[in-house]
Amino acid sequence: MKVLPRRVRAEILLRSLAVQGSWNYETLIGTGFAFTILPALRHIHRADPEALQTSLVRHAGLFNSHPYFIPVAAGAVARLEEDDVASPVVERFKSAIRGSLGSVGDQLVWWAWRPMSAVLGVALLLAGAAWWIAVIAFLTVYNTLHVGLRIWGMRIGLERGMEVGRVLRDAPLHRMGRAASNFGLLLAGFATVLAVARVSGPGDGNLLLGAGAVALGIWLGLRARTVVWAALGTVWGLGMLFGTL
Amino acid sequence: MLPEPGVYLLLLLLGGWIALDGASFGQAMVSRPIVAATLAGWLVGSPVLGAAIGLVLEVFHLTVLPVGAARYPEAGPAAVVGGASFAIAGPTPSALLTATLFVLAWEWVGGASMRYLRQVNMRIAAVTAHPGMSPGELERRHIVSMMLDFFRGAVLVGGGIPLLTLVLVWTRVFWGLPEEVTRLAVASAVTALLASAFRLFGGGIKLFLIGASCGLLYLILG
Repeated sequence: MKVLPRRVRAEILLRSLAVQGSWNYETLIGTGFAFTILPALRHIHRADPEALQTSLVRHAGLFNSHPYFIPVAAGAVARLEEDDVASPVVERFKSAIRGSLGSVGDQLVWWAWRPMSAVLGVALLLAGAAWWIAVIAFLTVYNTLHVGLRIWGMRIGLERGMEVGRVLRDAPLHRMGRAASNFGLLLAGFATVLAVARVSGPGDGNLLLGAGAVALGIWLGLRARTVVWAALGTVWGLGMLFGTL
Repeated sequence: MLPEPGVYLLLLLLGGWIALDGASFGQAMVSRPIVAATLAGWLVGSPVLGAAIGLVLEVFHLTVLPVGAARYPEAGPAAVVGGASFAIAGPTPSALLTATLFVLAWEWVGGASMRYLRQVNMRIAAVTAHPGMSPGELERRHIVSMMLDFFRGAVLVGGGIPLLTLVLVWTRVFWGLPEEVTRLAVASAVTALLASAFRLFGGGIKLFLIGASCGLLYLILG
Protein backbone atom coordinates (compact mmCIF):
# COMPACT_ATOMS: atom_id res chain seq x y z
CA MET A 1 0.00 0.00 0.00
CA LYS A 2 1.31 3.45 -0.99
CA VAL A 3 0.53 6.47 1.16
CA LEU A 4 -1.04 9.66 -0.14
CA PRO A 5 0.90 12.80 0.86
CA ARG A 6 -0.44 14.64 3.91
CA ARG A 7 -1.34 17.68 1.76
CA VAL A 8 -3.55 15.53 -0.50
CA ARG A 9 -5.29 13.90 2.47
CA ALA A 10 -5.93 17.30 4.06
CA GLU A 11 -7.37 18.60 0.79
CA ILE A 12 -9.73 15.63 0.48
CA LEU A 13 -10.93 16.18 4.05
CA LEU A 14 -11.52 19.88 3.41
CA ARG A 15 -13.31 19.22 0.13
CA SER A 16 -15.54 16.65 1.82
CA LEU A 17 -17.24 19.60 3.56
CA ALA A 18 -18.54 20.64 0.12
CA VAL A 19 -19.66 17.21 -1.06
CA GLN A 20 -23.31 18.25 -1.33
CA GLY A 21 -22.50 21.52 -3.13
CA SER A 22 -23.95 20.40 -6.46
CA TRP A 23 -26.60 17.94 -5.15
CA ASN A 24 -28.93 17.08 -8.03
CA TYR A 25 -31.68 14.60 -8.83
CA GLU A 26 -29.63 12.87 -11.54
CA THR A 27 -26.41 11.82 -9.78
CA LEU A 28 -27.23 12.94 -6.20
CA ILE A 29 -23.81 13.77 -4.69
CA GLY A 30 -21.86 12.14 -7.55
CA THR A 31 -20.26 15.37 -8.79
CA GLY A 32 -19.45 16.33 -5.19
CA PHE A 33 -17.82 12.95 -4.61
CA ALA A 34 -15.62 13.40 -7.69
CA PHE A 35 -14.81 16.94 -6.49
CA THR A 36 -13.81 15.50 -3.11
CA ILE A 37 -11.45 12.79 -4.32
CA LEU A 38 -10.02 14.82 -7.22
CA PRO A 39 -6.78 15.69 -5.31
CA ALA A 40 -6.13 11.96 -4.83
CA LEU A 41 -6.90 11.19 -8.49
CA ARG A 42 -4.61 14.02 -9.63
CA HIS A 43 -1.82 12.62 -7.48
CA ILE A 44 -2.30 9.00 -8.55
CA HIS A 45 -2.69 9.72 -12.28
CA ARG A 46 -0.26 12.64 -12.41
CA ALA A 47 1.62 11.10 -15.35
CA ASP A 48 -1.48 10.05 -17.31
CA PRO A 49 -4.08 12.79 -18.02
CA GLU A 50 -6.29 10.35 -19.96
CA ALA A 51 -6.52 7.94 -17.01
CA LEU A 52 -7.31 10.92 -14.76
CA GLN A 53 -10.15 12.01 -17.05
CA THR A 54 -11.60 8.48 -17.28
CA SER A 55 -11.54 7.86 -13.56
CA LEU A 56 -12.95 11.33 -12.78
CA VAL A 57 -15.98 10.80 -15.03
CA ARG A 58 -16.49 7.35 -13.50
CA HIS A 59 -16.54 8.76 -9.98
CA ALA A 60 -18.89 11.61 -10.94
CA GLY A 61 -21.69 9.11 -11.54
CA LEU A 62 -24.57 8.37 -9.18
CA PHE A 63 -23.50 8.25 -5.53
CA ASN A 64 -25.05 8.98 -2.17
CA SER A 65 -24.09 8.79 1.48
CA HIS A 66 -24.58 10.62 4.72
CA PRO A 67 -22.38 13.73 4.24
CA TYR A 68 -20.35 13.14 7.42
CA PHE A 69 -19.41 9.63 6.26
CA ILE A 70 -18.13 10.77 2.87
CA PRO A 71 -14.49 10.72 4.07
CA VAL A 72 -14.91 6.97 4.71
CA ALA A 73 -15.88 6.41 1.07
CA ALA A 74 -13.40 8.95 -0.29
CA GLY A 75 -10.54 7.49 1.72
CA ALA A 76 -11.38 3.92 0.76
CA VAL A 77 -11.82 4.73 -2.95
CA ALA A 78 -8.57 6.72 -2.97
CA ARG A 79 -6.83 3.71 -1.45
CA LEU A 80 -8.32 1.35 -4.07
CA GLU A 81 -7.35 3.69 -6.92
CA GLU A 82 -3.84 3.95 -5.51
CA ASP A 83 -3.58 0.17 -5.27
CA ASP A 84 -4.66 0.02 -8.95
CA VAL A 85 -7.73 -2.11 -8.25
CA ALA A 86 -9.81 -2.80 -11.39
CA SER A 87 -12.51 -0.17 -11.99
CA PRO A 88 -15.52 -2.60 -12.00
CA VAL A 89 -14.45 -3.74 -8.51
CA VAL A 90 -14.23 -0.13 -7.30
CA GLU A 91 -17.70 0.57 -8.73
CA ARG A 92 -19.17 -2.51 -7.03
CA PHE A 93 -17.56 -1.44 -3.77
CA LYS A 94 -19.10 2.05 -4.06
CA SER A 95 -22.55 0.59 -4.75
CA ALA A 96 -22.20 -1.77 -1.81
CA ILE A 97 -21.25 0.83 0.83
CA ARG A 98 -23.48 3.73 -0.13
CA GLY A 99 -26.57 2.31 1.57
CA SER A 100 -24.86 1.59 4.87
CA LEU A 101 -23.01 4.93 4.94
CA GLY A 102 -26.39 6.62 4.56
CA SER A 103 -28.32 4.64 7.14
CA VAL A 104 -25.56 4.62 9.80
CA GLY A 105 -25.26 8.40 9.52
CA ASP A 106 -29.01 9.01 9.55
CA GLN A 107 -29.49 6.92 12.69
CA LEU A 108 -26.58 8.36 14.60
CA VAL A 109 -26.55 12.01 13.51
CA TRP A 110 -30.01 13.04 12.29
CA TRP A 111 -32.10 10.88 14.63
CA ALA A 112 -30.03 11.09 17.81
CA TRP A 113 -27.06 13.44 18.04
CA ARG A 114 -28.53 16.53 16.39
CA PRO A 115 -31.86 16.55 18.30
CA MET A 116 -29.99 15.85 21.56
CA SER A 117 -27.62 18.80 20.93
CA ALA A 118 -30.57 21.03 20.01
CA VAL A 119 -32.52 20.12 23.16
CA LEU A 120 -29.36 20.88 25.16
CA GLY A 121 -29.28 24.41 23.67
CA VAL A 122 -33.01 24.89 24.29
CA ALA A 123 -32.73 23.58 27.88
CA LEU A 124 -29.90 26.02 28.60
CA LEU A 125 -31.95 28.94 27.30
CA LEU A 126 -34.98 27.88 29.34
CA ALA A 127 -32.76 27.54 32.41
CA GLY A 128 -31.77 31.17 32.00
CA ALA A 129 -28.27 30.75 30.54
CA ALA A 130 -26.91 33.60 28.41
CA TRP A 131 -27.72 33.30 24.70
CA TRP A 132 -24.08 32.84 23.75
CA ILE A 133 -23.62 29.99 26.22
CA ALA A 134 -26.57 28.10 24.71
CA VAL A 135 -25.36 28.69 21.16
CA ILE A 136 -21.75 27.76 21.88
CA ALA A 137 -22.79 24.67 23.87
CA PHE A 138 -25.01 23.47 21.02
CA LEU A 139 -22.37 24.05 18.34
CA THR A 140 -19.54 22.54 20.40
CA VAL A 141 -21.37 19.37 21.40
CA TYR A 142 -22.76 18.84 17.91
CA ASN A 143 -19.53 19.48 16.05
CA THR A 144 -17.40 17.37 18.35
CA LEU A 145 -19.06 14.33 16.82
CA HIS A 146 -19.31 15.89 13.36
CA VAL A 147 -15.60 16.73 13.02
CA GLY A 148 -14.56 13.56 14.85
CA LEU A 149 -16.53 11.40 12.41
CA ARG A 150 -14.95 13.07 9.39
CA ILE A 151 -11.38 12.64 10.66
CA TRP A 152 -11.97 9.08 11.85
CA GLY A 153 -13.74 8.20 8.59
CA MET A 154 -10.87 9.47 6.46
CA ARG A 155 -8.36 7.49 8.50
CA ILE A 156 -10.25 4.18 8.39
CA GLY A 157 -11.05 4.66 4.70
CA LEU A 158 -7.39 5.09 3.77
CA GLU A 159 -6.15 2.39 6.13
CA ARG A 160 -8.73 -0.33 5.53
CA GLY A 161 -9.86 0.26 1.93
CA MET A 162 -12.34 -2.42 0.94
CA GLU A 163 -12.73 -3.57 4.59
CA VAL A 164 -14.41 -0.38 5.83
CA GLY A 165 -17.76 -2.17 5.91
CA ARG A 166 -16.48 -4.48 8.63
CA VAL A 167 -14.93 -1.56 10.55
CA LEU A 168 -18.26 0.31 10.45
CA ARG A 169 -20.09 -2.79 11.67
CA ASP A 170 -17.69 -3.25 14.60
CA ALA A 171 -17.49 0.44 15.57
CA PRO A 172 -19.68 1.47 18.53
CA LEU A 173 -21.76 3.85 16.37
CA HIS A 174 -25.07 2.23 17.28
CA ARG A 175 -24.25 2.39 20.99
CA MET A 176 -23.30 6.06 20.62
CA GLY A 177 -26.66 6.76 19.00
CA ARG A 178 -28.47 4.96 21.80
CA ALA A 179 -26.51 6.91 24.44
CA ALA A 180 -27.27 10.20 22.69
CA SER A 181 -30.99 9.34 22.59
CA ASN A 182 -30.95 8.47 26.29
CA PHE A 183 -29.26 11.73 27.17
CA GLY A 184 -31.74 13.50 24.89
CA LEU A 185 -34.59 11.94 26.89
CA LEU A 186 -33.12 13.28 30.14
CA LEU A 187 -32.69 16.74 28.62
CA ALA A 188 -36.19 16.67 27.12
CA GLY A 189 -37.69 15.87 30.55
CA PHE A 190 -35.65 18.65 32.15
CA ALA A 191 -36.53 21.23 29.47
CA THR A 192 -40.22 20.27 29.44
CA VAL A 193 -40.55 21.04 33.16
CA LEU A 194 -38.85 24.42 32.66
CA ALA A 195 -41.22 25.13 29.77
CA VAL A 196 -44.25 24.25 31.93
CA ALA A 197 -42.95 26.73 34.51
CA ARG A 198 -42.90 29.39 31.76
CA VAL A 199 -46.54 28.63 30.95
CA SER A 200 -47.71 28.74 34.56
CA GLY A 201 -45.61 31.73 35.61
CA PRO A 202 -44.88 32.47 39.26
CA GLY A 203 -47.81 31.33 41.35
CA ASP A 204 -50.67 31.63 38.86
CA GLY A 205 -53.18 28.95 38.00
CA ASN A 206 -52.02 27.87 34.54
CA LEU A 207 -50.27 24.72 35.67
CA LEU A 208 -53.11 22.66 34.18
CA LEU A 209 -52.56 24.26 30.79
CA GLY A 210 -48.87 23.36 30.92
CA ALA A 211 -49.63 19.80 32.00
CA GLY A 212 -52.17 19.50 29.19
CA ALA A 213 -49.55 20.68 26.67
CA VAL A 214 -47.12 18.03 27.94
CA ALA A 215 -49.74 15.28 27.64
CA LEU A 216 -50.69 16.44 24.13
CA GLY A 217 -47.04 16.58 23.03
CA ILE A 218 -46.28 13.08 24.32
CA TRP A 219 -49.45 11.68 22.78
CA LEU A 220 -48.91 13.29 19.37
CA GLY A 221 -45.18 12.55 19.14
CA LEU A 222 -43.84 13.35 15.67
CA ARG A 223 -47.26 14.69 14.58
CA ALA A 224 -47.12 17.47 17.17
CA ARG A 225 -45.46 19.93 14.80
CA THR A 226 -48.42 20.04 12.40
CA VAL A 227 -51.06 20.19 15.15
CA VAL A 228 -49.24 22.93 17.09
CA TRP A 229 -48.72 24.91 13.89
CA ALA A 230 -52.44 24.72 13.14
CA ALA A 231 -53.33 25.71 16.72
CA LEU A 232 -51.04 28.74 16.67
CA GLY A 233 -52.40 29.70 13.26
CA THR A 234 -55.91 29.62 14.70
CA VAL A 235 -54.86 31.85 17.62
CA TRP A 236 -53.31 34.30 15.18
CA GLY A 237 -56.42 34.29 13.02
CA LEU A 238 -58.60 34.98 16.07
CA GLY A 239 -56.30 37.77 17.20
CA MET A 240 -56.57 39.49 13.84
CA LEU A 241 -60.32 38.85 13.60
CA PHE A 242 -61.08 40.31 17.05
CA GLY A 243 -58.92 43.33 16.30
CA THR A 244 -60.62 43.96 12.96
CA LEU A 245 -64.11 43.60 14.44
CA MET B 1 -38.76 49.03 11.15
CA LEU B 2 -36.32 47.79 8.48
CA PRO B 3 -32.63 47.33 9.37
CA GLU B 4 -30.06 49.98 8.35
CA PRO B 5 -28.70 49.40 4.79
CA GLY B 6 -25.30 48.26 6.11
CA VAL B 7 -26.91 45.81 8.55
CA TYR B 8 -29.29 44.66 5.81
CA LEU B 9 -26.30 43.81 3.63
CA LEU B 10 -24.74 41.85 6.50
CA LEU B 11 -28.03 39.97 6.94
CA LEU B 12 -28.00 39.05 3.23
CA LEU B 13 -24.46 37.70 3.59
CA LEU B 14 -25.52 35.80 6.71
CA GLY B 15 -28.47 34.36 4.77
CA GLY B 16 -26.11 33.16 2.01
CA TRP B 17 -23.74 31.56 4.51
CA ILE B 18 -26.60 29.93 6.40
CA ALA B 19 -28.05 28.50 3.16
CA LEU B 20 -24.65 27.03 2.29
CA ASP B 21 -24.29 25.55 5.77
CA GLY B 22 -27.67 23.84 5.47
CA ALA B 23 -26.43 21.38 2.86
CA SER B 24 -23.86 22.66 0.38
CA PHE B 25 -20.90 23.47 2.58
CA GLY B 26 -19.98 22.54 6.11
CA GLN B 27 -23.21 21.43 7.74
CA ALA B 28 -21.84 22.63 11.07
CA MET B 29 -25.44 23.46 12.03
CA VAL B 30 -24.95 27.20 12.08
CA SER B 31 -28.11 26.97 9.99
CA ARG B 32 -30.19 25.64 12.91
CA PRO B 33 -32.79 28.19 14.07
CA ILE B 34 -31.30 28.48 17.55
CA VAL B 35 -28.04 29.72 16.00
CA ALA B 36 -29.21 31.46 12.82
CA ALA B 37 -31.96 33.52 14.50
CA THR B 38 -29.65 34.47 17.38
CA LEU B 39 -26.93 35.64 14.97
CA ALA B 40 -29.50 37.67 13.02
CA GLY B 41 -30.79 39.23 16.25
CA TRP B 42 -27.22 40.01 17.26
CA LEU B 43 -26.61 41.78 13.92
CA VAL B 44 -29.60 44.07 14.48
CA GLY B 45 -28.65 44.70 18.11
CA SER B 46 -30.69 42.22 20.15
CA PRO B 47 -29.28 38.69 20.36
CA VAL B 48 -31.59 37.92 23.29
CA LEU B 49 -34.71 38.44 21.17
CA GLY B 50 -33.06 36.53 18.33
CA ALA B 51 -32.45 33.65 20.74
CA ALA B 52 -36.06 33.84 21.98
CA ILE B 53 -37.54 33.25 18.53
CA GLY B 54 -34.67 30.84 17.78
CA LEU B 55 -35.81 28.70 20.72
CA VAL B 56 -39.41 28.59 19.50
CA LEU B 57 -38.33 27.72 15.94
CA GLU B 58 -35.82 25.15 17.16
CA VAL B 59 -38.46 23.11 19.00
CA PHE B 60 -40.56 23.18 15.82
CA HIS B 61 -37.56 21.65 14.01
CA LEU B 62 -36.67 18.90 16.46
CA THR B 63 -38.69 16.37 14.51
CA VAL B 64 -37.77 17.54 10.99
CA LEU B 65 -35.32 14.94 9.71
CA PRO B 66 -33.65 15.24 6.28
CA VAL B 67 -33.88 11.51 5.67
CA GLY B 68 -34.42 9.80 2.32
CA ALA B 69 -36.39 11.58 -0.36
CA ALA B 70 -38.59 13.50 2.11
CA ARG B 71 -39.55 17.07 1.25
CA TYR B 72 -38.64 19.18 4.21
CA PRO B 73 -38.73 22.89 5.05
CA GLU B 74 -35.45 24.81 5.04
CA ALA B 75 -34.92 26.33 8.47
CA GLY B 76 -31.80 28.51 8.10
CA PRO B 77 -32.53 31.57 5.92
CA ALA B 78 -36.10 31.79 7.26
CA ALA B 79 -34.73 31.84 10.82
CA VAL B 80 -32.49 34.78 9.85
CA VAL B 81 -35.60 36.60 8.60
CA GLY B 82 -37.44 35.82 11.85
CA GLY B 83 -34.52 36.65 14.15
CA ALA B 84 -33.82 40.03 12.57
CA SER B 85 -37.45 41.15 12.15
CA PHE B 86 -38.59 40.06 15.61
CA ALA B 87 -35.57 41.67 17.27
CA ILE B 88 -36.43 44.97 15.55
CA ALA B 89 -40.20 44.72 16.15
CA GLY B 90 -39.83 44.30 19.91
CA PRO B 91 -40.68 41.72 22.53
CA THR B 92 -44.46 41.36 22.41
CA PRO B 93 -46.00 37.86 22.37
CA SER B 94 -48.12 38.82 19.35
CA ALA B 95 -44.97 39.79 17.41
CA LEU B 96 -43.34 36.50 18.45
CA LEU B 97 -46.38 34.51 17.33
CA THR B 98 -46.63 36.39 14.03
CA ALA B 99 -42.92 36.06 13.26
CA THR B 100 -42.94 32.35 14.15
CA LEU B 101 -45.87 31.59 11.85
CA PHE B 102 -44.36 33.63 9.02
CA VAL B 103 -41.02 31.87 9.38
CA LEU B 104 -42.67 28.43 9.36
CA ALA B 105 -44.35 29.36 6.07
CA TRP B 106 -41.17 30.95 4.65
CA GLU B 107 -39.27 27.73 5.39
CA TRP B 108 -41.43 25.97 2.80
CA VAL B 109 -40.55 28.66 0.25
CA GLY B 110 -36.91 27.96 1.11
CA GLY B 111 -37.45 24.22 0.71
CA ALA B 112 -39.11 24.74 -2.69
CA SER B 113 -36.27 26.99 -3.88
CA MET B 114 -33.76 24.35 -2.80
CA ARG B 115 -35.56 21.69 -4.81
CA TYR B 116 -35.60 24.02 -7.82
CA LEU B 117 -31.85 24.63 -7.46
CA ARG B 118 -31.27 20.88 -7.35
CA GLN B 119 -33.07 20.60 -10.68
CA VAL B 120 -30.92 23.40 -12.09
CA ASN B 121 -27.85 21.54 -10.79
CA MET B 122 -28.80 18.63 -13.04
CA ARG B 123 -28.05 20.89 -16.01
CA ILE B 124 -25.07 22.64 -14.45
CA ALA B 125 -23.07 19.94 -12.75
CA ALA B 126 -24.32 16.40 -13.44
CA VAL B 127 -21.96 14.24 -15.44
CA THR B 128 -24.94 12.98 -17.43
CA ALA B 129 -25.35 16.48 -18.90
CA HIS B 130 -21.59 16.99 -19.36
CA PRO B 131 -20.05 13.56 -19.99
CA GLY B 132 -16.67 14.93 -21.09
CA MET B 133 -16.00 17.20 -18.11
CA SER B 134 -12.34 17.91 -17.45
CA PRO B 135 -11.14 18.09 -13.81
CA GLY B 136 -11.00 21.90 -13.93
CA GLU B 137 -14.46 22.14 -15.48
CA LEU B 138 -15.94 19.82 -12.84
CA GLU B 139 -14.47 22.01 -10.10
CA ARG B 140 -15.82 25.18 -11.71
CA ARG B 141 -19.30 23.74 -12.17
CA HIS B 142 -19.39 22.44 -8.61
CA ILE B 143 -18.38 25.85 -7.26
CA VAL B 144 -20.95 27.64 -9.47
CA SER B 145 -23.68 25.44 -7.93
CA MET B 146 -22.51 26.45 -4.46
CA MET B 147 -22.46 30.14 -5.42
CA LEU B 148 -26.05 29.82 -6.64
CA ASP B 149 -26.99 28.31 -3.28
CA PHE B 150 -25.36 31.25 -1.50
CA PHE B 151 -27.27 33.68 -3.76
CA ARG B 152 -30.52 31.76 -3.08
CA GLY B 153 -30.07 32.18 0.68
CA ALA B 154 -29.37 35.89 0.32
CA VAL B 155 -32.48 36.35 -1.84
CA LEU B 156 -34.64 34.47 0.67
CA VAL B 157 -33.46 36.76 3.46
CA GLY B 158 -33.64 39.90 1.30
CA GLY B 159 -37.22 39.16 0.29
CA GLY B 160 -38.38 37.77 3.62
CA ILE B 161 -37.43 40.67 5.91
CA PRO B 162 -39.55 43.37 4.20
CA LEU B 163 -42.48 40.97 3.91
CA LEU B 164 -42.37 39.96 7.58
CA THR B 165 -41.88 43.60 8.62
CA LEU B 166 -45.06 44.45 6.73
CA VAL B 167 -46.98 41.62 8.39
CA LEU B 168 -45.67 42.68 11.83
CA VAL B 169 -46.82 46.27 11.29
CA TRP B 170 -50.21 45.02 10.13
CA THR B 171 -50.47 42.72 13.19
CA ARG B 172 -49.58 45.56 15.57
CA VAL B 173 -52.42 47.67 14.14
CA PHE B 174 -55.10 44.99 14.11
CA TRP B 175 -54.19 42.67 17.01
CA GLY B 176 -57.21 42.07 19.22
CA LEU B 177 -56.23 39.38 21.75
CA PRO B 178 -54.72 40.17 25.17
CA GLU B 179 -50.93 39.72 25.05
CA GLU B 180 -51.11 37.37 28.07
CA VAL B 181 -53.36 34.98 26.13
CA THR B 182 -50.93 35.07 23.22
CA ARG B 183 -47.98 34.44 25.57
CA LEU B 184 -49.78 31.41 27.01
CA ALA B 185 -50.46 30.05 23.51
CA VAL B 186 -46.80 30.34 22.45
CA ALA B 187 -45.46 28.94 25.76
CA SER B 188 -47.89 25.99 25.58
CA ALA B 189 -46.81 25.32 22.00
CA VAL B 190 -43.14 25.21 23.04
CA THR B 191 -44.04 22.88 25.92
CA ALA B 192 -46.00 20.49 23.70
CA LEU B 193 -43.23 20.39 21.09
CA LEU B 194 -40.55 19.73 23.71
CA ALA B 195 -42.64 16.96 25.23
CA SER B 196 -43.07 15.43 21.76
CA ALA B 197 -39.29 14.83 21.72
CA PHE B 198 -40.07 12.03 24.19
CA ARG B 199 -41.15 9.89 21.21
CA LEU B 200 -38.28 11.06 19.01
CA PHE B 201 -35.72 9.77 21.51
CA GLY B 202 -37.37 6.37 21.80
CA GLY B 203 -39.88 6.95 24.56
CA GLY B 204 -37.98 5.80 27.66
CA ILE B 205 -40.31 6.99 30.41
CA LYS B 206 -37.81 6.40 33.23
CA LEU B 207 -35.14 8.68 31.77
CA PHE B 208 -37.71 11.32 30.83
CA LEU B 209 -39.03 11.35 34.40
CA ILE B 210 -35.52 11.54 35.86
CA GLY B 211 -34.89 14.58 33.63
CA ALA B 212 -38.20 16.08 34.69
CA SER B 213 -37.29 15.55 38.37
CA CYS B 214 -33.98 17.35 37.78
CA GLY B 215 -35.97 20.18 36.23
CA LEU B 216 -38.27 20.37 39.25
CA LEU B 217 -35.28 20.35 41.60
CA TYR B 218 -33.67 23.14 39.56
CA LEU B 219 -36.85 25.22 39.82
CA ILE B 220 -37.17 24.66 43.57
CA LEU B 221 -33.52 25.42 44.28
CA GLY B 222 -33.39 28.30 41.78
